[in-house]
Amino acid sequence: MRRAIRLMLLFARVSVQNFAAYRFDFVMRLIVSAMHLVGELVAVWTIFHNTKTLNGWQWQHMLVLVGVFRIIAGGIRMSIVPNMRRVLDDIHQGTLDFVLLRPVNSQWLVSIREFVIWRVSDVVLGAAVAMYGCVKLVGHVPLIQTLIFVAMLVAGFVIVYSVWLMLATLCFWFVRIQNIEMIFWNVFEAGRYPIVIYRPWVQWVLTFVLPLAFITTFPAGALIGDPHIGVPGTAPVYALLIATGSLLLSSWFWRFGLRHYSGASA
Amino acid sequence: MDPWSPVSFLRCRKAGRGLQWARFVLLSFERSLLRGRLQLSRRSAYDVPFDPVRDLSWRDDSAGATAKVTLSMPQIEIDDLSKTFSVAEREGGLRAAVRSVFRRRLRKVRAVDRVNFNVDTGEIVGFLGPNGAGKTTTLKMLAGLLHPTSGTARVMGHVPWRRESDYLRKISMLMGQRSQMQWDLPALDSFLVHGAVYDIGKEDYKRTLDELVELLDLGGVLKKQVRTLSLGERMKCEICVSLLHRPAVLFLDEPTIGVDITMQARIRQFIADYNRKHGATIILTSHYMADVTALCERIIIIDHGHILFDGPLGSLSERLAPFKVIKIDLDRELDGYDLASMGEVLSINHRKVELRVPKNQAAAVTSRLLTDLPVLDLTIEDPPIEDVISTVFKQPRASSDTSDDCISDDPGGTLK
Amino acid sequence: MRRVIRALLAYLRAHIGVMLHYRGEILLWSLWGIINPAVLYAMWSSAAAGSAGGTIAGLDVRGIAAYYFGIMIVGHLTASWDVHQMGYHVRSGNLSPQLLRPLLPMWKAVSENLAYKVTTLVFVVPMWGLFAWLVQPRFDMAAWQLCLGLVALVLAAVLNFILSYTVSLVAFWATKLDAMGEIYFGLGMFLGGRLAPLEALPPPLLMAAKVLPFRWIFSFPTELLMGKTPELAEALAGITIQLVWFGSVVVVFRFFWAAAVKHYTAVSG
Repeated sequence: MRRAIRLMLLFARVSVQNFAAYRFDFVMRLIVSAMHLVGELVAVWTIFHNTKTLNGWQWQHMLVLVGVFRIIAGGIRMSIVPNMRRVLDDIHQGTLDFVLLRPVNSQWLVSIREFVIWRVSDVVLGAAVAMYGCVKLVGHVPLIQTLIFVAMLVAGFVIVYSVWLMLATLCFWFVRIQNIEMIFWNVFEAGRYPIVIYRPWVQWVLTFVLPLAFITTFPAGALIGDPHIGVPGTAPVYALLIATGSLLLSSWFWRFGLRHYSGASA
Repeated sequence: MDPWSPVSFLRCRKAGRGLQWARFVLLSFERSLLRGRLQLSRRSAYDVPFDPVRDLSWRDDSAGATAKVTLSMPQIEIDDLSKTFSVAEREGGLRAAVRSVFRRRLRKVRAVDRVNFNVDTGEIVGFLGPNGAGKTTTLKMLAGLLHPTSGTARVMGHVPWRRESDYLRKISMLMGQRSQMQWDLPALDSFLVHGAVYDIGKEDYKRTLDELVELLDLGGVLKKQVRTLSLGERMKCEICVSLLHRPAVLFLDEPTIGVDITMQARIRQFIADYNRKHGATIILTSHYMADVTALCERIIIIDHGHILFDGPLGSLSERLAPFKVIKIDLDRELDGYDLASMGEVLSINHRKVELRVPKNQAAAVTSRLLTDLPVLDLTIEDPPIEDVISTVFKQPRASSDTSDDCISDDPGGTLK
Repeated sequence: MRRVIRALLAYLRAHIGVMLHYRGEILLWSLWGIINPAVLYAMWSSAAAGSAGGTIAGLDVRGIAAYYFGIMIVGHLTASWDVHQMGYHVRSGNLSPQLLRPLLPMWKAVSENLAYKVTTLVFVVPMWGLFAWLVQPRFDMAAWQLCLGLVALVLAAVLNFILSYTVSLVAFWATKLDAMGEIYFGLGMFLGGRLAPLEALPPPLLMAAKVLPFRWIFSFPTELLMGKTPELAEALAGITIQLVWFGSVVVVFRFFWAAAVKHYTAVSG
């Protein structure tokens, strides 16, 4: 266990040491990232130019949601996307074999190899926006809610990781589909807005089938702490259950995929 | 199928489950015993002398490691290993493309077909064959990357495709066509990562790295990004990284492909030195004959998944092409001299003649030629090994129902 | 001209074959064009419920549904991605063999674009139908609006293609500027009527939108198709403006293309 953590830290250290080699790229992408945030804020401005509330969500609530979306997107692009893209590359080019040759759990190894450190700016900016929204709402940042908020962010992140891992595992069968990650981004798109804007059956699907609600809306709700915006108080408990369940499911699926890849009878 | 696993017990679905299972276990014992007996009649020259304990007890996977690690025990044992793939195929053109959307056609390809051989500790074995012969598939099965369709293998007492951590630490695989290093980082970072992944102690790591850097002459290369290295330098780094954890068994899949001639020679020299110094067992596949002739005392030729030859390189040419090639430079034109009666004329080019004669006639023919013709220069050579090997591939094979057409090298054995 | 058409048809066949082969990927790419408008419809309907008059930019819920149904179709049929990929093509040298041919590389891009739109129709039309069935848009356009709307749609597709292609030429000079695609796309989103119907934009954005060509690519054809342009004169004026924009961009393109090739062959070739 300790060795596994040490390995992860080593990979992180190595990628941090080397990002200086790509200074120009880094600045460009930082600018693009900031542009996205500006775009999201302009969208909020446009929405509330026309209305006072989105099914109970006012502009302050929306700011928190924008912040949460940015935090999760930043976290995804920092560690999940580079690793999963590399897994897809490895499957296409046949270099996944090298991963399987290592005396380390393959799922752990493919999940920690890459680390795009500068994406932490997205996380920081998102946190700033979320905090600002919260402050505008209640005047201060409440401690207990922040702790629950962080816990729910972690749960949401684990759910996202599991979904990505399952998508990457699908590549063992659908080898040709190089942009299988689009499935995630397409659904994630719906998480930009609180799930209360959707019809009841869509809300149900986005909570229990594709747990998008637990990724953006519910963590934002946890920080806001307002019971009138459609976020149930039991959300943290469900989040924990779903996060654990999805992690177990995706781990099992990865092992299943590996058995198929190496030709063991399933 | 493992008779001792609970799964097989559960699969005996009929009433009287216990009885069914017991029958199944007995059948497995019987099958293994029969296999053990068959093993006795087909041995390659590199099999150890008949060992009653080893040869008469069954080699059933499930019985756990009955391997008594004695020196007479081969390090790698492969028994009837087979691997079949299902491949989707489709013709070109737009119509076929549309049709393939609705119906996929699958074809079964036997990549490896009941392969048998053993390797002792410290041997260097060359694995030769045309593209698609089953070399890489066999290596991958031994490295634990692929599960065989049938058959067993044991490397250092482990079953490779169980992918036990202990086993993976003792082996290493190098694929010449693929890189295992991080493309955008300096080579040294990839080494560090490798050291951490294999849990190599700091002193061991430093010592091994220094030794390898010196032997491979990697001094200036380590700090450069892998992307910027030339192919030869990158290959040396790949070799270095695959040896950092001091594996006991090395699988080298085309290690010198694409590398220039001087570097190939250097890499070959390194492999030979490493094998001599550390006693690592090496299985090497290559397209380049020079690799094989320089490094391997024993070669295995494989084609379409079957082993066609397994034995020392010298005896291959002995057995299959017991010829000599006589090359003569003449002082004048031939003038109607009947060369064809002497042997097979390979080429006549002005005053240079190449003639192929059976080995036992070589001396006689040579002295006749020297007497009859004004010879300026004469050489007698073995036929080039490439020709010998292409002859092996051209040999008509017996039907695939029979056991593999193995040209074994034991005296008194049958030559198919 | 005949040579161009012949090459175009040949490229078209090849590209359709490729698209059929990669149908899984193509499907995933086209999904975004369905999901984004659907999400925005849901959001704006919710906003309408919370707004002063129950409408957004004069549209009630069914009107919003019609608007976004239109945006889905228009967005898909005017799609163009060269602005995202030109940088990569220039850097990787993919352009060099294309520049050797006696045909503008642009025509290859045109056929790829057409092939995508043709092959994806099979996937997206049912999904449009599903969306329409779920949200019940109000279709109250006249026949002439439909006809002119289709003309406007074709013009919009052509305009978007040539405009984005011209903008992508920046990549010849600033090879690392992959962000150009994002910027172009963002402008189209905000100022073209994709994020919100134009009248819903705050005044500063509305002013910018009126000046830029994006509204003639997305907003104008959608409004025309959905019957939001009551006057024939207005519709014809709009089409004229589309033609003017198209003509101007073609002129700019020819100038920039010559400069770009000159730069490319001087620098790398």
